[in-house]
Amino acid sequence: MKKTFFISTISLILLATSCSKDLNQVPISSGTTVTFYQSPSDFIQGINAVYSDLRGYPDRLANLSEIRSDNIYGVSSLGVRDWDPINNFQKAITGNVYVEEAWSTDFNGIFRANTELDQLAKNGSLIPQGLATRLTAEAKFLRAFYYFDLVKYFGKLPIVDHPLLVPEANALGRSSVSDVYKFIIDDLQYAIANLPATYTGVDIGRATKYAAEATLGLVYMTRSGPTYGVEGPGLGLNEWALAVPLFNDIIASGLFAMNTNYANIFSYSNQSPTTTGNKEAIFDVMYQSGISGTASTYGATYPWQLAPNSYFKTKGDTKSNGSLEMIPVSNDLLNDYAATDVRKSFNMNTTPFVDAGSTESRPFFKKWLDFTKIPTTSRFDWGINFIAIRYTDVLLLKAECVLHGAPGSQLTDVDAVVSQVRTRAGLTSIVGVTLDQLLDERRKELADEGSRWFDLQRSGKLLTVMNAWITAEDYKHQISPVVAGYIVYPVPQSQLDAAPGLYTQNTGY
Amino acid sequence: MRITCTHLLIAITLCGVTFAKSMKAQDVLKRTVNVTVNNSSLETTLKKLERDADIKFVYSKSVIKTDQKITLNASGQGLKEVLDQLLTVHGITYQVINNHIVLNVSPQYEQIKQLEEKKIAERQAAINVFTVKGKVTDEKGVSIPGVTVKLVGSKTLNATNANGNSVTLVAPSPVTATDANGNYTLNVPDGTGSLEFSFIGYITKTVPINGQSVVNVTLEESQKQLNEVVVIGYGTQKRGNVTGAQATLRNENLDERAITRVDQALVGQLAGVTVKQTNGTPGKPFSVQIRGTGSISAGNEPLYVIDGFPLSTATTNGAGNFASGNPLDNINPNDIENIEVLKDAAAAAIYGSRASNGVVLITTKRGQTGKPKINYNAYVGYNQASRKLNMLDGQGWIDRATEIINSQYVADYALKGATANDNATTRLANVGSFQVKYFLDPRWSTPGHPGLEFVDWQDQIFRKGLMENQEVSVSGGADAVRYFISGNYSNQDGFVKNTGYKVYSARANVEVTASKNLKFGLNIAPTYSITEDPGVEGKDNIYHQALSFTPVQEDTVGNYPNVGKNDQYKWSVTTNSVVGKLENIVGETKKYRTLATIFAEYQIIPGLSLRSSLNLDNTDNTSRSYVPYYVASTLLSRTFNAQTNPNLTANTSGSYNTFKRQTFVNENTLTYSKVFNHDHNINVLLGQSYNFDRTDNSAESSSGGYTSSVIQTLNAAAAVTGNTTASQNVLISYFSRVQYAYKDKYLLSASLREDGSSRFGSNNQYGVFPSASIGWRVTQERFMQKIPTISDLKVRASVGVNGTNNLGGDYQSIPTLSAAGYVFGATQAAAIGQAPARIANPDLQWERSVTYDAGIDFGLLNNRITGSIDYYNKLNTKLLLNVQVPETTGFPTFLNNTGSVRNIGEELELTTRNFVGKFQWTTTVNVSHNTNKVVALGPGQTQILIPSSFDISNFILRVGEPVNSIFVVKQVGMLTQADITNKAALFGTETVGDPKYEDINNDGVIDANDRQIVGHPNPDYTWGITNTFRYKGFDLSVLVQGQNGGSIYSLLGRALTRTGQGFTDNAPAFYEDRWRSPDNPGAGRVSKAYSTFGRIVNTDWLYSSDYIRVRDITLGYNLGNLISKKVVQNARLYITAENFFGHDKYYGGANPDATNTDLSGNANYLSPGDYGGLPLAKSLIFGLNITF
Repeated sequence: MKKTFFISTISLILLATSCSKDLNQVPISSGTTVTFYQSPSDFIQGINAVYSDLRGYPDRLANLSEIRSDNIYGVSSLGVRDWDPINNFQKAITGNVYVEEAWSTDFNGIFRANTELDQLAKNGSLIPQGLATRLTAEAKFLRAFYYFDLVKYFGKLPIVDHPLLVPEANALGRSSVSDVYKFIIDDLQYAIANLPATYTGVDIGRATKYAAEATLGLVYMTRSGPTYGVEGPGLGLNEWALAVPLFNDIIASGLFAMNTNYANIFSYSNQSPTTTGNKEAIFDVMYQSGISGTASTYGATYPWQLAPNSYFKTKGDTKSNGSLEMIPVSNDLLNDYAATDVRKSFNMNTTPFVDAGSTESRPFFKKWLDFTKIPTTSRFDWGINFIAIRYTDVLLLKAECVLHGAPGSQLTDVDAVVSQVRTRAGLTSIVGVTLDQLLDERRKELADEGSRWFDLQRSGKLLTVMNAWITAEDYKHQISPVVAGYIVYPVPQSQLDAAPGLYTQNTGY
Repeated sequence: MRITCTHLLIAITLCGVTFAKSMKAQDVLKRTVNVTVNNSSLETTLKKLERDADIKFVYSKSVIKTDQKITLNASGQGLKEVLDQLLTVHGITYQVINNHIVLNVSPQYEQIKQLEEKKIAERQAAINVFTVKGKVTDEKGVSIPGVTVKLVGSKTLNATNANGNSVTLVAPSPVTATDANGNYTLNVPDGTGSLEFSFIGYITKTVPINGQSVVNVTLEESQKQLNEVVVIGYGTQKRGNVTGAQATLRNENLDERAITRVDQALVGQLAGVTVKQTNGTPGKPFSVQIRGTGSISAGNEPLYVIDGFPLSTATTNGAGNFASGNPLDNINPNDIENIEVLKDAAAAAIYGSRASNGVVLITTKRGQTGKPKINYNAYVGYNQASRKLNMLDGQGWIDRATEIINSQYVADYALKGATANDNATTRLANVGSFQVKYFLDPRWSTPGHPGLEFVDWQDQIFRKGLMENQEVSVSGGADAVRYFISGNYSNQDGFVKNTGYKVYSARANVEVTASKNLKFGLNIAPTYSITEDPGVEGKDNIYHQALSFTPVQEDTVGNYPNVGKNDQYKWSVTTNSVVGKLENIVGETKKYRTLATIFAEYQIIPGLSLRSSLNLDNTDNTSRSYVPYYVASTLLSRTFNAQTNPNLTANTSGSYNTFKRQTFVNENTLTYSKVFNHDHNINVLLGQSYNFDRTDNSAESSSGGYTSSVIQTLNAAAAVTGNTTASQNVLISYFSRVQYAYKDKYLLSASLREDGSSRFGSNNQYGVFPSASIGWRVTQERFMQKIPTISDLKVRASVGVNGTNNLGGDYQSIPTLSAAGYVFGATQAAAIGQAPARIANPDLQWERSVTYDAGIDFGLLNNRITGSIDYYNKLNTKLLLNVQVPETTGFPTFLNNTGSVRNIGEELELTTRNFVGKFQWTTTVNVSHNTNKVVALGPGQTQILIPSSFDISNFILRVGEPVNSIFVVKQVGMLTQADITNKAALFGTETVGDPKYEDINNDGVIDANDRQIVGHPNPDYTWGITNTFRYKGFDLSVLVQGQNGGSIYSLLGRALTRTGQGFTDNAPAFYEDRWRSPDNPGAGRVSKAYSTFGRIVNTDWLYSSDYIRVRDITLGYNLGNLISKKVVQNARLYITAENFFGHDKYYGGANPDATNTDLSGNANYLSPGDYGGLPLAKSLIFGLNITF
């Protein structure tokens, strides 16, 4: 009987062990990071998701760069809008939705890039070598792109180079800005070495070698900006000369050109980046209307971020396109444009209109809006690409490097470029362009493209320009003086709450 | 596997006792002893010997007298020698078994003693001169042989002993027993004193003689309660030895009523078990909650186990419905023998990671050896709505509409001098064109309102629905085979037109004894049900629309406004006629479910048996919907126009969804049960189980309408969209339990279960769930015999750990991918992207609950009063909540185990047998009290506002407050001019006659910041009382149940009574008493009809969920007295009235327990609520139950 007992127990144990592996179930109807990445199209879907996080990039530029800068006087009627604290340099913006969004979306993009890189490292052998290399380069470019966006807004950052589990994330503090840059530069250098110069067919719009070069050029320039005594994007390094060869490579490619018509750069009928389409566009955030119905999966929302809903109503729009209320262009920018500057009437609406019985005459940006292209389904479905890296911008950036002493010629690399820009705008050409003149030209050329705040950061004149502007413009007396700490935004409250003590708040907040 | 070893160790250690090598008796008796005692008791002496010789004496103190004084001086003597000297002289024998020495009384000694006693008895007989006779019968009048009849109360008598000396004797009471016919004769000294009648299984009865020579007695069965065997997890146990908190529903509660679902039978019956009938449509599951709400997101439904087969845990969706089925679906209540509810952790812990919400054990009927018993059970009756929600009638609606229209007109055209008395011409001049919102229908004020019809829409959709049930079962058995076979047909037409539930079910439970040691069994129950429900309950469904529907309509269209060729009444809601919808919309669910178990039981040695079972639960569910264009959209879209509307069926829609759910369970258990030395009762269980659960879904629906107005299937759809999905999980478990009872007095039970679940994260795949409980049968103690009023008393305490693995899906720990698209291409087009939708959480695990329970089971006055009292304290921890994490993970939050909720409660169950005898009256009462508190949320979190699908948040989780506390603005009256003048806080553009709200933060305005906690959804007290009366062949039972202390925050109430609501919708009848003017402020509940300030979540829509309900009245008559037993063994006719009387305080809806709509719209915070729930059905049923 002892035998029977032991046989029974042994058989029970055997039965139990043989089943234990059944506990490792994988989802039947959805992919997982463990099972999904098998064929080329799986990895391509993985990288596409990394691009997907770019979709909020232009909106963020409007909220955190344009509104923050002297381009916008965004004091709302009751002072309770989400953009008020950004515009008004309030100290308590750690919980602001725009600040939260920047941190969360960019880190989600980094997470997705890391997931793709992780999978390529594990299973990349399942796909052709060339594709694996390109996808790796794309993922590294995008990771660098998101990190560069973050470092400009927040300064020091946790460096995440692989998908993190919660315990790891809870222990990963912020690294110094220079370490973050080192990480970014490594990624971009890999991307430059491995990304193709062009794409064809369905791949058009993916990151190219030139997108990476332009980004790395701007990284060197941003590092060269002053520190303001803050752990922000400027490191006070003199790396202007490092940027120039990168820009030169873009120019020498011959793939890009300045459009002779300013309005045509932003035309709904001149989409498609590079080669066959818009030669100004080195890197686009791409949108298409009419694919996704009411969901905002493929369409854009950024075109109306700064344009008031009330104006759309005057255009017969019924879908409440537009911002809750006007976020007006500053008088300073309005008056900066010459009356004959074609960019003035194109970039902003200056025609008064009637809103709720009273006349609204404040100007607002309408650069990305075409009122004949109001989407039929919803206001989240606008179909215009956002040019994230524009050829004109690259030329102007190179000019800036030259003015800072990098190799190049005042005549051909600065004056000629600025004059070309001015001529296109219907203005006269100038010679002996100074850094101040270049900064001013950039402001007018790149208005509503999210460049202004960072241009001011890099110029070293952010505090003086902003405070002078506030004194002149702030008739409602809502804007606080800009102090050095405000060069960067605070770490979002949600992050401080999620892992108390892990991150120290930026000085000034 | 590590824990498995623990289980094994326990088992082996315990079994070691049995398999220990036996020791030779001679060796023991040869041991030498050195013991000296001087005038000590025998007991002390034996103890000394035990220590000295390393032996153990085993004896019963009631047999062996151990108080006699002993003097012994043994040094170096053999044990045998000492024992002979010590015991034999006192008539005690001994026997060596292993290391134990068992003592007994020598038979010869007994004989001598008996002889002496007999002599005394003979002398007593001489003085017992009074003779009492009688007959003892049971409640049914059947004589009982063998009943002990004894004179009680000691009598002192003077007698002469054998030696001729005169002595005073304490006389042993005269005793006899009833003969084969139940008759007895007893001689007693005189006609005083009382006779005690006792018999196993019956309540002992004492009857005074009072000089009577004939004393007939009826004994009632003692409920067999304590020796009754009850089902526990993986086994059975004597009820008296149960140490967990366990409640029983006996089969008479099921058999004697007309019940369509098993959960219906549980309503109001058991303390701590709250059963809510959340639906009024027939066939729908009830919600069952045991001991409160412990989980926020992982569900609170118990685990159901049918005949040892643990079914998949039911999961409710956000709307409170069981979208993928309920374990009790299609289970025929007539097949149920009884139901045991394991409430505390100790009782339930053997089910580990699924037992946190309690376990319901259901046992189906089986055959008994004997000739076949055929049972026919049938009933027929009707059901109808138990109540209506009182809405304004046509006149009341006209009165309210007139007030609103006039106010609107005056407000909008004040500048043009508009007044409420303006006629249509003046209004037309002011407004410019006819608009219903400014104009009154002239017929409203014309006497008899010609051309209009007043419609009570509830009356139009309600009806009396037929209910019927037919069941035949056969049970019986011979030596080798026992069987129970049943077939059942049940049909219930709902009280709402075109709703109904039909079920066909069969069951065969067969057991075969193949050999002395081997038994096989098969239980199989195929069922098929059809539910018709065109979508009656829930937001914007038919009942909600019927309540809101304008009660005034054109008499030309009758009950069919806005259907087919009929237009809507101008002043009416735009909804299509609810009657038209009920008659044309199809909502049909067919469910085919088979439950099957096959098992084998092999007895390895006496007491040790191995049981192995394979179980399969397979459900195939198809649901079909069809909504013809005829009852959809507007008249324009239903009117053919060759140019603009050529295809009428473009608005027809249909869908076809299926799910297949399979649960497969293999369980193997080893049970060892043995009584050692009479007093040590030990039971050991060791088991292992494998549980596989899979659901396959398919969903197809029409897109772009239909191409046919006749064909309903999807081949006639213009296009079809659809998909299929599947999900599965595996649970592997090891468990063990030890139960020990010493003399049935000291009870101990401990269990340990280890569950490995594929749902858990890879780091925590195995969870361990221990429990322990102890009990003390105080009445088994000798000192308790002096307190005869207490016939039974058991004190018990337990602690245990349980879990729930209901993580909201099978793959919550795994980072599944979801779509994240982008745009690429020369021709820009969608590029599909896939990215993880959440962080991997390899640590994800079960929610955990630790429950302490203390209870008393008691019986008083010969068990005339029996009951139990329990106190419990249950702490649920590791709740599944979304916790903030650093975004460096890619996400703002992740699902993690954090936070805790505590439930504390008391339960009382009491049964009193008020009258016994010919007229019997029994009362059963159960009362439960439960309080519930959020103890902690995520790290650093003190509150979470539960999102709302319909408004700003109105439920809150706040530390220190009950789960899902209602968080709204408090209405404190109506605004007067004085309030306005004094700058009372206002919500928006409020004026006089609008509601006044409490400005809790004193900031001068009413807004979302003025929300406060005003109540909680769970009742504090739930209770049920059943009174049963029997007289001759009649039986009557009345079940009353209710609850107190909870609140309903009713979204239906909000839909019907919100401020700013338009005139087209109908409003509740209490709108008659609304605020009309400062001089006529109404009843204080309803503000003025016309308002423009909008609305804010407030206490206007808060109702008490208290109710009292006469759930069931059943009157039966046993025909057994009329029909010969040779023809039928048993026959009973009965009439049942269910839900006929009741009262509740829910004025904003029809059923205080209703849940039908997802109020949070968020799977992380289950918040089902009422947004149009039907009233409960009341039914009147005639039934017949015959056993041949």
